[in-house]
Amino acid sequence: MIATAGAPRILLDHVSVSYETPRGRLQVVDRVSLAVDKAEFVVLVGPSGCGKSTILRAIAGLNAAESGTITVDGKTVNGPPEHIGFMFQKDTLLPWQTVRQNIEVGLALAGVPPALWTQRVAGLLALLRLSEFRDAYPAQLSGGMRHRVSLGRMLAYEPAVMLMDEPFGALDFQTKAVMGRELLRIWEAERRSILFVTHDIEEAVALADRVLVFSPRPARIVAEHRIDLPRPRNLRALRGSPDYTAYTRAIWEALGDGD
Amino acid sequence: MTDPVIAEEILAPTRPARDGFDVSAFVWRLVLVAGLLLVWEFSAGRLFNEFWSSRPSLIGERLVALVKSGEVWRHVDATVSEALLGLFLGALVGTPIGIALAHYRRAAKIIDPFVMGLYGLPRVALAPMFILWFGISLFSKVMMSFSMVLFVFILNVTEGIRTVDPDMIDLMHTMRAPRSYIMRKVTIPSIVPWLIAAFRIGIGLSLVGAVVGELIGANRGLGWYVVRAGGQLDTTGVFAGLFLLMLLAMIANQIIFMIEQRALHWRRGAR
Repeated sequence: MIATAGAPRILLDHVSVSYETPRGRLQVVDRVSLAVDKAEFVVLVGPSGCGKSTILRAIAGLNAAESGTITVDGKTVNGPPEHIGFMFQKDTLLPWQTVRQNIEVGLALAGVPPALWTQRVAGLLALLRLSEFRDAYPAQLSGGMRHRVSLGRMLAYEPAVMLMDEPFGALDFQTKAVMGRELLRIWEAERRSILFVTHDIEEAVALADRVLVFSPRPARIVAEHRIDLPRPRNLRALRGSPDYTAYTRAIWEALGDGD
Repeated sequence: MTDPVIAEEILAPTRPARDGFDVSAFVWRLVLVAGLLLVWEFSAGRLFNEFWSSRPSLIGERLVALVKSGEVWRHVDATVSEALLGLFLGALVGTPIGIALAHYRRAAKIIDPFVMGLYGLPRVALAPMFILWFGISLFSKVMMSFSMVLFVFILNVTEGIRTVDPDMIDLMHTMRAPRSYIMRKVTIPSIVPWLIAAFRIGIGLSLVGAVVGELIGANRGLGWYVVRAGGQLDTTGVFAGLFLLMLLAMIANQIIFMIEQRALHWRRGAR
């Protein structure tokens, strides 16, 4: 693809990744090519352990690709690229820091001058409905709240690309739905590229512009579905709609019987 | 590297203590102590010869006399200085060794059996050499105490660094955090609980080291006081010395507990 103004933010070209294990080489990602546009919300679904997370880690520069090339904003990835936000399934908050201090980690690493921190933190806490918990420690918060703080830290870093590895996977059904809604609300207001990994098909259809379906390990793309549901999306109304049901059924079929 | 039993029971950071002061437990403690002392006081001289066990009232008198004459300070000062110097020296030397061992895993693996061998060696058995090498001054007791606590710091710090959450480090890497920032924000705070645990265990061991050193050769200190009293068949003196040692250990523990409460306040949940 030629680098133009409309060039994709993330581009993977025949990327393979293997791990060295005690029992030899284990291929986890098999010649995956994909592109994520600016302001596009792409969801990767596939069976657990299939290598989706490895793809995200490779884009973030945490794992090296064995072959193929990864570029972010036209630059080849070789170590963590600039303006990448990452969210793990765990909240990975610093337990010895308050909510405010955890969010300030994002600001500090983005190089935001400390004079602006108070205002930025206040803005993010309001956005995430966490204002009263500014000085609480993570141990004092519920799982959902901790994930919101974690999201806040990522937003504070002002990433152009958000890589989210089953970020709400550890949450209960209800909290997960709320988090999904919050993420959409934030993303629809200020669009960035999101690459989101999940094994929850309904979550995938509800959030995505495009869903990429992966095979069991080693991960290959077996299907691609563009989700043409109107935005802003009302997740509750969506669940009953025939289009939504059709998309989820199609993805179920693409996944096959799985492993 | 460490045996799981050691890792769990000795090395694991102590659980966060509950808030507030438990009045009922405190009252029960007083009742228990008073009861035992009364039994002791009234059985001594009746059920058995008080020569063997002395009695609380005599021990009390002796303690008062020791405080009045000022002699007690000479001994407490000696023992506390030896123990504290040994403890801080152990922390100062053990912590960097622990960090290095966590960092250079290959080297750590190679020397592991030797470290564990030295760790298991009863340090008391080294006392004659310590006297030979370091004399019978304060220094030999400090070294004895140091040899007791050194391994606690090495093992705790190594284990503490190994339990740093790799996802937390990865997250910092994705935001291109400099090494020094990761050290300051992630690594050091995660070993603090382990360091405090090392101090908690080390404080008792450093007292043991100081007393063992004094038992072998000294002219002051609580250990020396106990040994001398024993030599003179002065059971009251022995118990007075033991009581002071116990008191020191309890005070030290309380201080560590207070430090722990302050340093690890973030562990406390909401309710």
